[in-house]
Amino acid sequence: MTKLKLLEVSETEGRTDNAVGKVYFKRFTLNQLAEHWAMIGTFMLLVVTGMPVKFPDSWWSPVIINLVGGFEMRTQLHHAAGIGMVLLGIYHVTYHLFIDREPLLERKVWPTLKDAKDFWQTVLFYFGRAEHPKYGRYSWKEKFDYWGAFWGMVMLCVTGLIMMFPFVAMDYIPYAYVHLATIVHTDEALLATLFIFIVHWWNVHYSPEVFPMSKAWITGNLSEEQMKHEHPLEYEEVMRQMRKDENS
Amino acid sequence: MLFTNRSLRFLLIAKYALILITALFISISVMPVFAQQDVSCYHCHTQVVTQFRNNIHYQMGFNCADCHGGHEEPNTSVISANVMSGNFTGKPTRDNITNVCSKCHVREASDYKQSIHWEQIKKGHPEAATCTDCHGIHEIRTIKDPKSPSNHQNSPATCAKCHSNKEMMSAWYYGIKTDRMDTYKESFHWKALRNGYSVVATCADCHNNHITKSHNDPTSSTYTENLPKTCGKVNCHQDTKFDAKIAAGLVHDKESIHTGELVFNKTNMDPLLRPYYLGPFDLAYWIALFFKILTTGVIGLFTGMVILDFLSRFKLQKRW
Repeated sequence: MTKLKLLEVSETEGRTDNAVGKVYFKRFTLNQLAEHWAMIGTFMLLVVTGMPVKFPDSWWSPVIINLVGGFEMRTQLHHAAGIGMVLLGIYHVTYHLFIDREPLLERKVWPTLKDAKDFWQTVLFYFGRAEHPKYGRYSWKEKFDYWGAFWGMVMLCVTGLIMMFPFVAMDYIPYAYVHLATIVHTDEALLATLFIFIVHWWNVHYSPEVFPMSKAWITGNLSEEQMKHEHPLEYEEVMRQMRKDENS
Repeated sequence: MLFTNRSLRFLLIAKYALILITALFISISVMPVFAQQDVSCYHCHTQVVTQFRNNIHYQMGFNCADCHGGHEEPNTSVISANVMSGNFTGKPTRDNITNVCSKCHVREASDYKQSIHWEQIKKGHPEAATCTDCHGIHEIRTIKDPKSPSNHQNSPATCAKCHSNKEMMSAWYYGIKTDRMDTYKESFHWKALRNGYSVVATCADCHNNHITKSHNDPTSSTYTENLPKTCGKVNCHQDTKFDAKIAAGLVHDKESIHTGELVFNKTNMDPLLRPYYLGPFDLAYWIALFFKILTTGVIGLFTGMVILDFLSRFKLQKRW
């Protein structure tokens, strides 16, 4: 029964436009939306203040650094945004481990065998050899987004702390690993940036299905159409659940 | 009518006449200046003298004769030396430039004479850096002037002029690597300097501006044992405890960050330094490799998926 919280169906009330009677599906709670917004803010700030140092010889490097207010300011902004993102990560883990009551193992974000199959089916679909896979609450792409961000945040936080306090770190790890941290940090950062700008934005932003963008990140809702389209399995489950509730 | 054809023509002629007369007056009044400079250096060495006008020495009242010898003509242009007089030295040879500068800059010259550059000049390699290579020849500016090649901000480029020159380095001084600038560019020092943050080390800060010595020389500031002191200078990494190995750093290590493979090139590494740089089981190498593969792999795979997704949309498939 706890699942119902995630599968909330909300009807729009008191609206005069043709949205009346339309059913919206709760995709993200306000908490999740706020986390995503905070993530966007800190991530963008980190990219803008970090990339000029990854590519110091590019023409845009000094341009951006002057825009954000000089090199020292860049460093401070980068540190502040980094700390913000780490705090967000800590909040996220704490909230979803201890406050959110849904049993840990029953959550839908865990990767399953179906995701591997879906991945392969997607490849086949792109070549016209199979049907488009039907997704549940989270598609394999979304799960990869989530766990990718999870892994990236841990990596960037650890290496970032090493870079912030190199001499403290050297008391515990060999010198080589401090330098290694800079490589890992910038590599991972570049990976994250490219992934967000190319893959994530394609899926939620540029792709013809959602263009100009999927509004779920602002409203947290999906329309019935979108729901049937993008998460058919979840849609069916919600409908089953609702029928069961009505009958009981 | 005031403006008849005739009066117009008259006005036109008058205008031209006026211009001509004015031009004549100006040329006459300027003539003595040229006449005066006819005997000066400017007459032949126009470009050099033009450069010299930006020279801090010119602005302080020095003139050609102070460096090149010869008798200074009184009452003429500041920059004239009488070639006929006895002690005119003309263009000093490269090993003599120091003698010219040391007439006033005694301390700097004596510092410079301890450097490997001077050592090489004495050995018969006159191409080794001398005063003018870093400070400019006729256009010497104070080091605080951002246009000066010795300015903190310009120091890397100035050193790279010779030290990135493969022919020069290999032809004369075997064993000097030409990737010094490239490897410096991998360091945070350069990344900050390039973006206008000047409180970071450039070449001269570690290698010393005048007492530049080989890192194999035990009295050099870049000798391994002396590095903790060099890095720990006031205003630099003060209050940081270095051991010599840490300070040796990887700022200029070719087998390292330069090729994007820090620490990671297992094959060319000094066997003594290897455990230090790579850790047990060459772990650093494997970690770096792992991340390289991960980054390229993930981006490659997913960008490929996006491209496939895009292309598949031309086929009018049933998408759901």
